[in-house]
Amino acid sequence: MTHMHIPDGILPVGLWLFGLIVMVLAVGFSLFQLRGMDMVRKIPLLGALSAAMLVAMSLEILPIFYHINLSVVAGILLGPALGFLAAFIANLILAFMGHGGITVIGLNTLLLGSEAVLGHTLFHLFKRLPVFWRSATATVLTLFMTTMALIGIVAVSHIDPELLSHGAEHGHTGQVSVRTFAIMVVSLGVIGWTIEAAITGAVVRFISQVKPDLLDHALHRDKEGKQPRGNMP
Amino acid sequence: MIDVARIDHWAASGSGPFHRASTPAKLLFLLFVVASAVITRNPYSLMAGYGLLLAVAAASRLPWFRVMGLSWYAALFAILYAISFRGGGWLAALFIVKAITPSFAMLMLIVSTPYPKIFSLFSALLPEILAAGLFMTYRTLFILLDMMDNFASAIRLRGGFSPGSLYKNSANISKGIGMLLVRAVERASRLYAVMVVRGYSGSMAEKGTVRFQREDWLPLGTGMAVLMLVLIWK
Repeated sequence: MTHMHIPDGILPVGLWLFGLIVMVLAVGFSLFQLRGMDMVRKIPLLGALSAAMLVAMSLEILPIFYHINLSVVAGILLGPALGFLAAFIANLILAFMGHGGITVIGLNTLLLGSEAVLGHTLFHLFKRLPVFWRSATATVLTLFMTTMALIGIVAVSHIDPELLSHGAEHGHTGQVSVRTFAIMVVSLGVIGWTIEAAITGAVVRFISQVKPDLLDHALHRDKEGKQPRGNMP
Repeated sequence: MIDVARIDHWAASGSGPFHRASTPAKLLFLLFVVASAVITRNPYSLMAGYGLLLAVAAASRLPWFRVMGLSWYAALFAILYAISFRGGGWLAALFIVKAITPSFAMLMLIVSTPYPKIFSLFSALLPEILAAGLFMTYRTLFILLDMMDNFASAIRLRGGFSPGSLYKNSANISKGIGMLLVRAVERASRLYAVMVVRGYSGSMAEKGTVRFQREDWLPLGTGMAVLMLVLIWK
């Protein structure tokens, strides 16, 4: 889920190790998908959009003090492979600001990166809708799915008998309630999804009006001018 | 709000003992604190560790109070997670202190180490596109923050911000972000052209070397002290 960065020390070791392994595989796969592209040109583009994601995260929308993250916009503009790498870079820098943990960088990147990948995929599935609604719908569905993924992570992480038994020694039963967590996260998330969707829709519509070539991935062609597979619209 | 510019200023302008320590030593310090947070099952020992970090940060002339405030951001997820466990105050305290202690250590590292030093170590481990992407993100970030500040000032002067009007604020912010993205891409392309003229050929990061020095006793000693505290006080 957007804006919910898992900190260090909370999740079971096996779970964050699994996240790190899957993240390394996903980053490796993204790099493999990008092998035919002109890397020297992509590095500045990747940096610019990762920076734009970080800047967007530093903005607050009054009066609810909500942060947006533009991961879906990054996915739409960069494509799934480069979008995933942008999510990784943004997450790494965020982790270095204490905004999400180091051990859980795998899980956090998978969540943010899947927003970029899903956002891009869904955006290209809803081709019949106007640009605003296309991106807004893609954003809501993406954030819903990644929130479910977060709840899934929490559900899996509750299987930590050692922690629960240690809590019981101190007189606490540690009853599992993923439902409570899900209700809290979804009820907070719905407001966030709506705002993020409205902003994503407006941003993508603005870009389609003033610089439509960005949506055609014109900047992502390789040296021979071919469209790489990892960024096909 | 993440104040990247302020963090960068603290990292570049400080001269305390933590600033003088080498980057690998501070990364090891972070590793010790993260390991402590991962292995502990007792909130009190980690609370003591957090207190020790606060004391070291204050003694090292780091902006400890601001860093403490930033470290509490990590508590948000921990609180929701603790509520889902229904484990009472003890478990909630454990989760919160497990979240904020590594976050504080991480912030101690970045407010005392300029980003290029950290990234140069990464460049030895990461593929070229990621290492260089990190550098490029860092370079572009400050340009964009400056542009966003100008945009915010302009929109305030023209009455574009209305506290309480979510629709109007969102619409104006969206246009600002759209413009920011377009300009970010233009800047990136221009930056690329400049870099090519200056001889850029796909490699830009100076590879970091692991070398320890005398001043490293502070981060290494602090990290080990936190780890020992957690191991002894179970």
